[in-house]
Amino acid sequence: MLNSTTTNISEFSPVMQSPLHPFGLTSKQEKVNDGKGVWANEIPLLGYISLRGNSQNAAFVNAVNSALNVALPTQACSMSYTAWGSILWLSPDEWLITCKRDQRASLQGALETALADIHSQVVDNSGGYTTVLLKGKNASEVLHHCTVYDLNMLQAGKVVGTTFGKLNFYLHQHEDGYYLVFRRSFADYIWRYLERSALPYGFGIAQLNDGL
Amino acid sequence: MFVIKCPHCFEAREEEEFSYGGEAFVARPTSPETESEESWGDYLFMKRNPKGWHWEMWGHSTGCRKFFVLKRNTANHTTVGAWTLAEARKIYDAEEATA
Repeated sequence: MLNSTTTNISEFSPVMQSPLHPFGLTSKQEKVNDGKGVWANEIPLLGYISLRGNSQNAAFVNAVNSALNVALPTQACSMSYTAWGSILWLSPDEWLITCKRDQRASLQGALETALADIHSQVVDNSGGYTTVLLKGKNASEVLHHCTVYDLNMLQAGKVVGTTFGKLNFYLHQHEDGYYLVFRRSFADYIWRYLERSALPYGFGIAQLNDGL
Repeated sequence: MFVIKCPHCFEAREEEEFSYGGEAFVARPTSPETESEESWGDYLFMKRNPKGWHWEMWGHSTGCRKFFVLKRNTANHTTVGAWTLAEARKIYDAEEATA
Protein backbone atom coordinates (compact mmCIF):
# COMPACT_ATOMS: atom_id res chain seq x y z
CA MET A 1 0.00 0.00 0.00
CA LEU A 2 1.25 3.46 -0.86
CA ASN A 3 2.27 5.57 2.08
CA SER A 4 1.30 9.18 1.44
CA THR A 5 4.15 10.45 3.57
CA THR A 6 6.81 8.76 1.40
CA THR A 7 5.29 9.23 -2.10
CA ASN A 8 5.65 12.90 -2.69
CA ILE A 9 5.04 14.13 -6.22
CA SER A 10 7.95 16.55 -5.90
CA GLU A 11 10.29 13.57 -5.49
CA PHE A 12 9.06 11.95 -8.69
CA SER A 13 11.91 12.15 -11.20
CA PRO A 14 11.21 10.43 -14.52
CA VAL A 15 14.25 8.99 -16.27
CA MET A 16 14.57 9.33 -20.03
CA GLN A 17 15.32 5.96 -21.61
CA SER A 18 15.80 4.98 -25.21
CA PRO A 19 13.35 2.36 -26.59
CA LEU A 20 16.15 -0.23 -26.83
CA HIS A 21 17.28 0.41 -23.26
CA PRO A 22 16.10 -3.05 -22.03
CA PHE A 23 18.60 -4.74 -24.38
CA GLY A 24 21.51 -3.17 -22.48
CA LEU A 25 23.36 -2.24 -25.66
CA THR A 26 25.70 0.22 -23.96
CA SER A 27 27.26 -2.48 -21.80
CA LYS A 28 27.58 -4.95 -24.71
CA GLN A 29 29.20 -2.66 -27.27
CA GLU A 30 32.69 -3.39 -28.54
CA LYS A 31 35.16 -2.04 -31.07
CA VAL A 32 34.24 -3.04 -34.63
CA ASN A 33 36.48 -5.89 -35.90
CA ASP A 34 36.54 -8.41 -38.76
CA GLY A 35 35.34 -11.27 -36.58
CA LYS A 36 31.67 -10.50 -37.16
CA GLY A 37 29.88 -9.71 -40.41
CA VAL A 38 27.26 -7.32 -39.07
CA TRP A 39 27.52 -4.52 -36.56
CA ALA A 40 24.66 -2.48 -35.23
CA ASN A 41 23.76 -0.15 -32.44
CA GLU A 42 21.04 2.25 -31.55
CA ILE A 43 21.78 5.95 -31.85
CA PRO A 44 19.66 6.77 -28.84
CA LEU A 45 17.67 9.83 -27.88
CA LEU A 46 18.16 12.07 -30.88
CA GLY A 47 15.89 15.01 -31.55
CA TYR A 48 13.26 14.55 -34.26
CA ILE A 49 11.25 17.43 -35.66
CA SER A 50 8.42 16.93 -38.13
CA LEU A 51 8.09 19.70 -40.67
CA ARG A 52 5.14 20.05 -43.02
CA GLY A 53 4.45 22.64 -45.67
CA ASN A 54 3.98 23.25 -49.37
CA SER A 55 7.29 22.83 -51.19
CA GLN A 56 5.81 24.65 -54.21
CA ASN A 57 5.52 27.75 -52.05
CA ALA A 58 8.78 29.71 -52.46
CA ALA A 59 8.14 31.68 -49.25
CA PHE A 60 7.93 28.43 -47.24
CA VAL A 61 11.12 26.98 -48.74
CA ASN A 62 13.03 30.25 -48.32
CA ALA A 63 11.92 30.60 -44.71
CA VAL A 64 13.02 27.03 -43.89
CA ASN A 65 16.32 27.48 -45.72
CA SER A 66 17.14 30.62 -43.77
CA ALA A 67 16.05 29.13 -40.42
CA LEU A 68 18.13 25.96 -40.89
CA ASN A 69 20.96 27.49 -42.92
CA VAL A 70 20.78 24.61 -45.41
CA ALA A 71 18.71 23.95 -48.51
CA LEU A 72 15.53 21.98 -47.84
CA PRO A 73 15.63 18.78 -49.96
CA THR A 74 12.56 19.17 -52.17
CA GLN A 75 13.44 16.41 -54.67
CA ALA A 76 11.60 13.14 -54.07
CA CYS A 77 13.50 10.73 -51.80
CA SER A 78 16.40 13.13 -51.32
CA MET A 79 17.99 14.20 -48.06
CA SER A 80 20.80 16.36 -46.79
CA TYR A 81 23.30 16.00 -44.01
CA THR A 82 24.07 19.07 -41.98
CA ALA A 83 26.53 20.07 -39.29
CA TRP A 84 23.91 19.30 -36.65
CA GLY A 85 22.12 16.27 -38.14
CA SER A 86 20.07 15.59 -41.23
CA ILE A 87 16.88 16.48 -43.09
CA LEU A 88 14.90 13.58 -44.55
CA TRP A 89 12.31 13.99 -47.30
CA LEU A 90 9.36 11.84 -46.28
CA SER A 91 6.69 12.96 -48.75
CA PRO A 92 6.10 15.95 -51.07
CA ASP A 93 4.94 18.04 -48.10
CA GLU A 94 6.68 16.42 -45.13
CA TRP A 95 10.22 16.29 -43.79
CA LEU A 96 11.87 14.78 -40.72
CA ILE A 97 14.68 16.78 -39.17
CA THR A 98 17.08 14.89 -36.91
CA CYS A 99 19.51 16.56 -34.56
CA LYS A 100 21.17 16.18 -31.19
CA ARG A 101 18.47 16.12 -28.54
CA ASP A 102 19.56 19.32 -26.85
CA GLN A 103 19.45 21.22 -30.14
CA ARG A 104 15.85 20.50 -30.91
CA ALA A 105 14.38 23.39 -28.97
CA SER A 106 16.54 25.95 -30.75
CA LEU A 107 15.85 24.41 -34.20
CA GLN A 108 12.14 24.20 -33.55
CA GLY A 109 12.14 27.77 -32.27
CA ALA A 110 14.01 29.03 -35.32
CA LEU A 111 11.58 27.23 -37.65
CA GLU A 112 8.52 28.46 -35.80
CA THR A 113 9.75 32.04 -35.89
CA ALA A 114 10.59 31.88 -39.58
CA LEU A 115 7.31 30.18 -40.51
CA ALA A 116 5.06 32.30 -38.29
CA ASP A 117 3.00 33.72 -41.18
CA ILE A 118 3.21 30.74 -43.52
CA HIS A 119 0.82 27.80 -43.64
CA SER A 120 2.99 25.04 -42.18
CA GLN A 121 3.52 22.76 -39.21
CA VAL A 122 6.52 22.20 -36.95
CA VAL A 123 6.20 19.47 -34.32
CA ASP A 124 8.73 18.06 -31.89
CA ASN A 125 8.47 14.30 -32.42
CA SER A 126 11.52 13.32 -30.36
CA GLY A 127 9.52 10.93 -28.23
CA GLY A 128 8.27 9.10 -31.29
CA TYR A 129 11.32 7.91 -33.21
CA THR A 130 14.65 6.20 -32.84
CA THR A 131 17.55 5.35 -35.16
CA VAL A 132 19.63 2.21 -35.57
CA LEU A 133 22.97 2.19 -37.35
CA LEU A 134 23.75 -1.02 -39.26
CA LYS A 135 27.17 -1.66 -40.76
CA GLY A 136 29.71 -4.37 -41.50
CA LYS A 137 30.58 -6.44 -44.58
CA ASN A 138 27.27 -8.36 -44.51
CA ALA A 139 25.01 -5.44 -43.59
CA SER A 140 23.40 -5.39 -47.04
CA GLU A 141 22.61 -9.12 -46.89
CA VAL A 142 20.94 -8.72 -43.52
CA LEU A 143 18.88 -5.80 -44.76
CA HIS A 144 17.83 -7.81 -47.81
CA HIS A 145 16.32 -10.34 -45.40
CA CYS A 146 14.26 -7.57 -43.82
CA THR A 147 13.01 -5.30 -46.58
CA VAL A 148 11.53 -5.55 -50.08
CA TYR A 149 13.49 -2.51 -51.29
CA ASP A 150 16.23 -3.06 -53.89
CA LEU A 151 19.27 -1.78 -51.99
CA ASN A 152 21.25 -1.32 -55.22
CA MET A 153 18.99 1.68 -55.81
CA LEU A 154 19.97 3.29 -52.52
CA GLN A 155 22.67 5.79 -53.41
CA ALA A 156 24.18 8.25 -50.96
CA GLY A 157 21.93 11.23 -50.30
CA LYS A 158 18.77 9.23 -50.81
CA VAL A 159 16.16 8.27 -48.22
CA VAL A 160 13.38 5.76 -48.83
CA GLY A 161 10.35 4.79 -46.82
CA THR A 162 9.80 1.07 -47.24
CA THR A 163 8.91 -2.10 -45.38
CA PHE A 164 10.82 -3.79 -42.59
CA GLY A 165 9.16 -7.15 -42.01
CA LYS A 166 5.58 -6.19 -41.29
CA LEU A 167 6.45 -2.58 -40.46
CA ASN A 168 7.56 0.53 -42.25
CA PHE A 169 10.78 2.46 -41.71
CA TYR A 170 12.97 5.09 -43.36
CA LEU A 171 16.33 4.02 -44.67
CA HIS A 172 19.38 5.95 -45.80
CA GLN A 173 23.01 5.12 -46.30
CA HIS A 174 25.82 7.32 -45.10
CA GLU A 175 29.52 6.58 -45.22
CA ASP A 176 29.83 2.87 -44.38
CA GLY A 177 26.53 2.30 -42.66
CA TYR A 178 22.78 2.08 -43.11
CA TYR A 179 20.65 4.30 -40.93
CA LEU A 180 17.24 2.87 -40.00
CA VAL A 181 14.78 5.45 -38.70
CA PHE A 182 11.51 4.12 -37.29
CA ARG A 183 8.78 4.60 -34.72
CA ARG A 184 9.80 4.07 -31.13
CA SER A 185 7.21 1.36 -30.57
CA PHE A 186 8.70 -0.72 -33.42
CA ALA A 187 12.11 -0.86 -31.74
CA ASP A 188 11.72 -4.23 -30.04
CA TYR A 189 10.44 -5.96 -33.18
CA ILE A 190 13.09 -4.43 -35.45
CA TRP A 191 16.01 -5.14 -33.12
CA ARG A 192 15.03 -8.80 -32.62
CA TYR A 193 14.45 -9.16 -36.37
CA LEU A 194 17.93 -7.77 -37.03
CA GLU A 195 19.53 -10.05 -34.44
CA ARG A 196 17.84 -13.10 -35.98
CA SER A 197 18.64 -12.09 -39.56
CA ALA A 198 22.29 -11.47 -38.69
CA LEU A 199 22.74 -14.84 -36.97
CA PRO A 200 24.55 -16.55 -39.90
CA TYR A 201 27.03 -13.70 -40.27
CA GLY A 202 27.87 -12.94 -36.65
CA PHE A 203 26.24 -9.97 -34.92
CA GLY A 204 28.09 -7.44 -32.82
CA ILE A 205 27.07 -4.30 -30.96
CA ALA A 206 29.18 -1.53 -32.46
CA GLN A 207 30.81 1.20 -30.46
CA LEU A 208 29.24 4.50 -31.45
CA ASN A 209 31.18 7.53 -32.53
CA ASP A 210 29.73 10.86 -31.61
CA GLY A 211 28.76 11.61 -35.22
CA LEU A 212 25.19 12.17 -36.43
CA MET B 1 3.16 -9.36 -56.83
CA PHE B 2 3.75 -6.49 -59.16
CA VAL B 3 5.67 -3.25 -59.23
CA ILE B 4 4.09 0.20 -59.02
CA LYS B 5 5.82 3.44 -59.89
CA CYS B 6 4.72 5.93 -57.23
CA PRO B 7 4.00 9.33 -58.84
CA HIS B 8 5.18 11.12 -55.69
CA CYS B 9 8.40 9.16 -55.03
CA PHE B 10 9.14 8.78 -58.78
CA GLU B 11 10.41 5.28 -58.22
CA ALA B 12 9.18 1.76 -58.98
CA ARG B 13 8.44 -0.06 -55.74
CA GLU B 14 7.12 -3.47 -54.72
CA GLU B 15 3.38 -3.89 -54.33
CA GLU B 16 3.99 -4.79 -50.67
CA GLU B 17 4.68 -1.10 -49.92
CA PHE B 18 1.23 -0.08 -51.15
CA SER B 19 -2.33 -0.53 -49.98
CA TYR B 20 -5.41 -0.74 -52.14
CA GLY B 21 -7.82 2.19 -51.89
CA GLY B 22 -10.81 1.10 -53.98
CA GLU B 23 -12.22 2.30 -57.27
CA ALA B 24 -11.17 5.81 -58.26
CA PHE B 25 -13.45 8.76 -59.05
CA VAL B 26 -16.64 7.41 -57.51
CA ALA B 27 -18.75 10.56 -57.31
CA ARG B 28 -20.04 11.25 -53.80
CA PRO B 29 -23.69 12.44 -53.78
CA THR B 30 -23.76 16.20 -53.25
CA SER B 31 -26.46 16.11 -50.57
CA PRO B 32 -26.26 12.84 -48.57
CA GLU B 33 -29.08 14.00 -46.23
CA THR B 34 -31.68 13.96 -48.99
CA GLU B 35 -30.32 10.93 -50.81
CA SER B 36 -32.61 7.90 -50.96
CA GLU B 37 -31.40 4.81 -49.13
CA GLU B 38 -31.15 2.94 -52.38
CA SER B 39 -28.96 5.46 -54.19
CA TRP B 40 -26.79 5.99 -51.09
CA GLY B 41 -26.36 2.21 -50.89
CA ASP B 42 -25.39 2.18 -54.56
CA TYR B 43 -22.79 4.87 -53.92
CA LEU B 44 -21.32 2.93 -51.01
CA PHE B 45 -21.37 -0.62 -52.30
CA MET B 46 -22.04 -0.88 -56.03
CA LYS B 47 -18.67 -0.71 -57.77
CA ARG B 48 -17.83 -1.52 -61.37
CA ASN B 49 -15.72 -4.61 -60.62
CA PRO B 50 -14.71 -5.16 -64.24
CA LYS B 51 -12.60 -7.92 -65.70
CA GLY B 52 -10.02 -5.85 -67.51
CA TRP B 53 -8.95 -2.22 -67.19
CA HIS B 54 -9.83 -0.61 -63.90
CA TRP B 55 -9.13 2.87 -62.50
CA GLU B 56 -8.30 2.49 -58.84
CA MET B 57 -6.72 4.33 -55.94
CA TRP B 58 -3.65 3.08 -54.13
CA GLY B 59 -1.86 4.47 -51.09
CA HIS B 60 1.92 4.34 -50.74
CA SER B 61 1.47 3.30 -47.13
CA THR B 62 5.07 2.55 -46.14
CA GLY B 63 6.61 5.31 -48.25
CA CYS B 64 5.25 8.80 -48.81
CA ARG B 65 1.78 7.87 -47.46
CA LYS B 66 0.11 9.67 -50.38
CA PHE B 67 -2.77 8.36 -52.44
CA PHE B 68 -2.61 8.19 -56.22
CA VAL B 69 -4.46 6.60 -59.12
CA LEU B 70 -3.43 3.46 -60.94
CA LYS B 71 -4.92 2.01 -64.11
CA ARG B 72 -4.62 -1.74 -63.76
CA ASN B 73 -5.87 -4.72 -65.69
CA THR B 74 -7.64 -6.85 -63.10
CA ALA B 75 -7.24 -9.98 -65.21
CA ASN B 76 -3.45 -10.03 -65.48
CA HIS B 77 -2.08 -7.23 -63.23
CA THR B 78 -0.57 -5.22 -66.08
CA THR B 79 -0.62 -1.49 -65.42
CA VAL B 80 -0.75 1.46 -67.81
CA GLY B 81 0.56 4.01 -65.37
CA ALA B 82 0.16 5.76 -62.05
CA TRP B 83 -0.72 9.43 -61.66
CA THR B 84 -1.56 11.89 -58.94
CA LEU B 85 -5.32 12.28 -58.47
CA ALA B 86 -5.42 15.62 -60.35
CA GLU B 87 -3.42 14.31 -63.33
CA ALA B 88 -5.40 11.10 -63.51
CA ARG B 89 -8.73 12.93 -63.42
CA LYS B 90 -8.02 14.58 -66.79
CA ILE B 91 -7.01 11.32 -68.45
CA TYR B 92 -9.97 9.51 -66.88
CA ASP B 93 -12.45 12.17 -68.02
CA ALA B 94 -11.07 12.17 -71.56
CA GLU B 95 -11.32 8.38 -71.64
CA GLU B 96 -14.88 8.37 -70.28
CA ALA B 97 -15.93 10.98 -72.84
CA THR B 98 -14.86 8.75 -75.73
CA ALA B 99 -16.15 5.51 -74.19
